[in-house]
Formats: sequence, C-alpha cells, structure tokens
Amino acid sequence: MIRAALFGLEIALLAIALGCGGNHQYGNAASTNEKPIGAPIQIETPLGLPPVPIPANNPETAEGVALGRKLFYEKKVSRDGTVACASCHNPLLGFTDGQKHSTGIGGKTGTRNAPTVINAAYFPSLFWDGRAASLEDQADKPISNPVEMGQSQGHDVWVKKLGADPVYKAAFQKAFGPGPATIGKVTKALAAFERTVISGNSPFDRYEFGGDKKALSAAATRGLAIFRDPKKGNCATCHTIGAKYALFSDGKFHNIGVGVNGEGELTDLGRYSETKVESDKGAFKTPILRDVAETAPYMHDGSLKTLKSVVDFYAGGGNSNPYLDKEIKEIKLTGRERADLVEFLKSLTGEMPPRVGPPGIAETTSLK
Amino acid sequence: MNRSTLFIEFVKKLGTDLSAVIQVVEEAMAPMQARLSVPNFFPLLIFCGAIAILTGCSQPATKEAQPKATAKQEAPPTYFKVDPSTAATLTGSVRYTGPRPARKRIDMSGDPACVEAHHGRAYDESIVENRNRTLANVFVYIKSGLEGKKFETPKTPVTIDQQGCWFRPRVLGIQTGQTLQVTNSDPVTHNIHPLAEVNREWNHSQGQGDPPISRRFVKPEVMIRVKCNIHSWMHAFIGVLDHPYFAVTGEDGTFEIHNVPPGDYVLAAWQEELGTQEQKISVAPSGKIETNFTFKGK
Repeated sequence: MIRAALFGLEIALLAIALGCGGNHQYGNAASTNEKPIGAPIQIETPLGLPPVPIPANNPETAEGVALGRKLFYEKKVSRDGTVACASCHNPLLGFTDGQKHSTGIGGKTGTRNAPTVINAAYFPSLFWDGRAASLEDQADKPISNPVEMGQSQGHDVWVKKLGADPVYKAAFQKAFGPGPATIGKVTKALAAFERTVISGNSPFDRYEFGGDKKALSAAATRGLAIFRDPKKGNCATCHTIGAKYALFSDGKFHNIGVGVNGEGELTDLGRYSETKVESDKGAFKTPILRDVAETAPYMHDGSLKTLKSVVDFYAGGGNSNPYLDKEIKEIKLTGRERADLVEFLKSLTGEMPPRVGPPGIAETTSLK
Repeated sequence: MNRSTLFIEFVKKLGTDLSAVIQVVEEAMAPMQARLSVPNFFPLLIFCGAIAILTGCSQPATKEAQPKATAKQEAPPTYFKVDPSTAATLTGSVRYTGPRPARKRIDMSGDPACVEAHHGRAYDESIVENRNRTLANVFVYIKSGLEGKKFETPKTPVTIDQQGCWFRPRVLGIQTGQTLQVTNSDPVTHNIHPLAEVNREWNHSQGQGDPPISRRFVKPEVMIRVKCNIHSWMHAFIGVLDHPYFAVTGEDGTFEIHNVPPGDYVLAAWQEELGTQEQKISVAPSGKIETNFTFKGK
C-alpha cells in the first residue's frame, strides 16, 4: 500500500520534472528545431545483422554522425576535461575499457563493468539495468553521473561553453541548423554516431549466413553446436541467433547468479532498481557477444576475467540465489566441449566500419 | 506557492533536471540498498527527504523514513558449561577387516589444468585404508545424549580448500552457525555444491584468485555430500552438529574427543561407503573411555 502510494508519488514527481523541461534554456530535447537538417543517409549493415532501427525524430545524417563522433571522443564533455565517452568505450578494446569497473573523473570508480557500444543500436533498452529506453535517452546520463563524467550540476553550462567554441559552433549548425548547442542536440548526435558502431561479417556470420562452411574451425563449429543445444550449452536461449541474422541477445534481463557475494547475498539488485519487481532482483541485461574476445573482463561486475572463466561459470550453474533464472542450471560439459565453446566465442570478432575511431580533430578547439 | 511550484523551484536550485537528480540518487543508493537489504522504496524516501529539507515535503513520507525497530531484543542464550573437573575424553580407533580397496585411478584429463594442478596421479579416496589396517576419513561423533544442552558456536572458521582439483579435507565436521570458509588454491574455476537436504542447498562459483567464501549451516545434518559442479570426481562430506563432540580419523585410524560431560551417549562412526555404526557408552566423571569400531567392508 505504502509502496504503491510512493510509486505514485514518484510518477507524479517525474511528470512534474518532464513538465519542467520547457523552463530550461537548453534543456528541451523534444523541440522540433533539434532535428538534424542534413540529408538522411543509410547505415550499411554487414552480413549477419538486420537494418539498424532509426527513430523518426533523429534521422541519420552525415553531419550529425560527424558531430556525434567528435563528441564521443571529446574529453571536454566531462567536468574536469579528463574523460570522454571513449575513455570507457575504447574502440581498441571493443568499445569497452578493459577494467573491472570503469574510472571516471578524479579517479572515481563505479560499480559496474562498461558495456560495449557495439550493436547497441539494436536494443530497446540501454545500461545493464535497462534504465534508458533509447541511445538518445542514454547518452546524457554518464555525462551527468558524478562518478563518470561528473557534470552533475546539469548540462546547461558545459553545453553552452562547448557550443561557443568556433569549431563546435560550426559543427552543431551544420548538423542541426541555426541556434545554440543544446543537450538535446548533443545526445542526438551521440546516438546517431553510436548507431554506426556496428559489427558483423565475423567468421561466424560467414559460416552461418554466408554459406562459407570453412569460415569456422572444427573446434568453433563444435562450439556453435554446443552453444545452440538446449541440453548442452543452452546459450542461444538468451544469446539469440535468428534465421537471417544474429543479435546474440534477447534484450531481456536475467539473474544468472553473478554478483552473489561469498555469503550468498546479491550485491547489486540490477533490473529490480528500475522495475521494483521482485523477480528482477539481481537480473541484468543479456549482453551481446559480438567481439566478445575483445571485451574482457566479463559480466555486469567485471568479475570474470577470461572467456574460459565465463564458460566455467555457466558450466558450474552460476551462483545459487533466490532469484536465479530457471535456464541457469548445472550443465555437463567436458573439458573439450568447454574449450570448443571458447573457440566459438572467438569467432564472433567481426569487422567494424572504418569511421568509428577518433576523428583526429578533437584537440583543435579553443575551449578553456 | 503550491507543491508543484515548490518542486520546480527545487529543481531550479539544483540547476538540473529531475531525471538527473533521480538518476544520481538512485545510482548512489543502489549499492547501499543491496548491502543493507533496505526496503526498495528507500532511495525514493531519501529523495523525498531531500525535497522535504528544501521545500517542506509531506509529513507521511518523512515519517516512513524512520522505520520502527520491530525486532525484539532476544536474551543471550545460556550455553552449557562443561565442568573441567569432571570432563572426560573419548578415544578409540576404527579398524578395517574388509578386502583391500582397489586403487581406482581418477581421470582428470577433462580439465588439463587439473592434471597439472594435482601433482601426480589421483586415486579414488572413498575408502582410505591405513597401513595399520585402520580407516582414515571416518567421522566419529556423539549422536545422542546431549539433548537440551546448548553449546557455544566457535568463532574460528572451518576451512575447506579446493586444491589440485580435490577437496581438502574430504571429511570435516562443523558446528551449526560456525563459519565454513571455502578457498580455491587452483588455477581453475570450481563450483562448490553442498547437496544439503536439511539445510539450504546452494552452489557457488569460485575462480582462480577469488576471495574465500563464507557460509553457515543452521541445522544439524550428518552428512552433507559436497560436489563440484564442474569437476565430477570432486567429493567431500560435511558433518554439521549442534555440539563440539566429533572427530575425523587420520592416518593412524584413531580419534580423540575431549571435554565431554559425564553421561550416557550413543557414539557413531560414519564412513562414506561403509555406512554408520553406533555404540552406547557410559561416560563417568573424568573418565577416559576407549571405543573401537570395526568395518568389515562392503
């Protein structure tokens, strides 16, 4: 009863907050003048991936993507100028950071492992707990998070400052037309860039969708069969492979027993923090597996260092806890079968589009 | 000013939008919430509390923010104190008259790292016969006669190590409520799984270099079979008792149980393949009682 009442209050507060948007000089993300003005472009999708969904209010344009790419690698987005999106989503590490937990401004650390940006375009929710409903919705949250990029006082000041820089001023105007830079334009540009960060045409894709039966090694081929077999690896139940493409994630949330401490308690409630649904306790979003060999360490808390340790974790049935997903159970896999699974996972390293690295002009601004 | 206007003022004061505030509060609270197992609306209450401080938020929310202490303070339990002047000692040995158990080799080739970690050949240890025709790994314990006496839980943990893809020790005793510390000395991942039937069954993954895990069993249970979910040959057995009167035989097949209060008891000896034997004993004050068991084999 109290909980329901409080939930209602929360909704009410949110409603008020949304109504507040118009009071901000730069805060109105819904405004029509924040729509990219350039000619829409197509994102070419490699073998193994479906077309990238593009929201109607943020069409993909060359200028928008270019601005987003520049912003993605821009450290001045952070409060002290030391952290860019790319700091934790480094293209050389599969758009992750190789750390257990990421480090933000002033050496502050979070509690979760940086998820990859790769193929994030395909998913209906972002973050390990799914609290953002779109890339646009996601993009400003690490910027304002006090332990990430630290702009916890709001976006107006830094956006105005960045937008006053001549190079950025021109880039914003090319992408969105006349008018000042806004956080709405920043998040749209970042999202437009992130939609281009897609990876496919891996050895697996060439084997599965390209008809090249030699694309996978014998071990990886056996690993794929184990991956799919509900009585063996049972991996594809959540890390989905479709008939024409493979996203390797059902986009849903599961408690697989990661983040259970030595005393058997959950250290992070995950999706539950968002939904308050009991069965969501300790559930986290199924991550994609593309380029997974590049994105160690693994799991929402970065607790598993190698692909072998991930496979062993599943083989052992994870960690028991009251909310464990019914699909997680002890599975009988021989040492060779586990090694085969690892070989298969390595075959998911694909080809990245050419223009997703740093633009090389990020430091030409005169922003102080 | 109505509450909505006040709220907008508050948001303006912070110079940010509400979703960012909620975000910050929820992110800050999430680990604490998990650690303290506080009610799920706790972050919201903190948030409301913050609003209340600045704007004078509604009374009920702040009231709820101070949950009443409902748990009654229980009186500390009275433990049974053994009088050292009358305490007795139980000793004995466990003989074996059955056929010499065949040396059965354990095949660890399924995990090459285990072959390496085990250092030498591994043999089945379900019956370990000592040189003097006695048995090791027999769990000897007082099965009955201590009813109504409550014994203090030792503060020191009992450790089981996963070493060389083997549980060490294989047979161990522990008191209810005492900490079982599980360590992994191996370069591979293990998943310890006590198949408890009276206590709660659980399993836990432990990779190379992972910190020890600590668990407790709350009810007496003799014996809990333990396996590793990853390495099928790994087995251990845990005897959980609500008193300290147990021992495991070693290389000479003997046992000693100290500080036993005088009384009539049933002393039991459990062996994983050969079952349990029981003997009634009468323990006189300050006595030294010898009880021998003989297992004939299967």
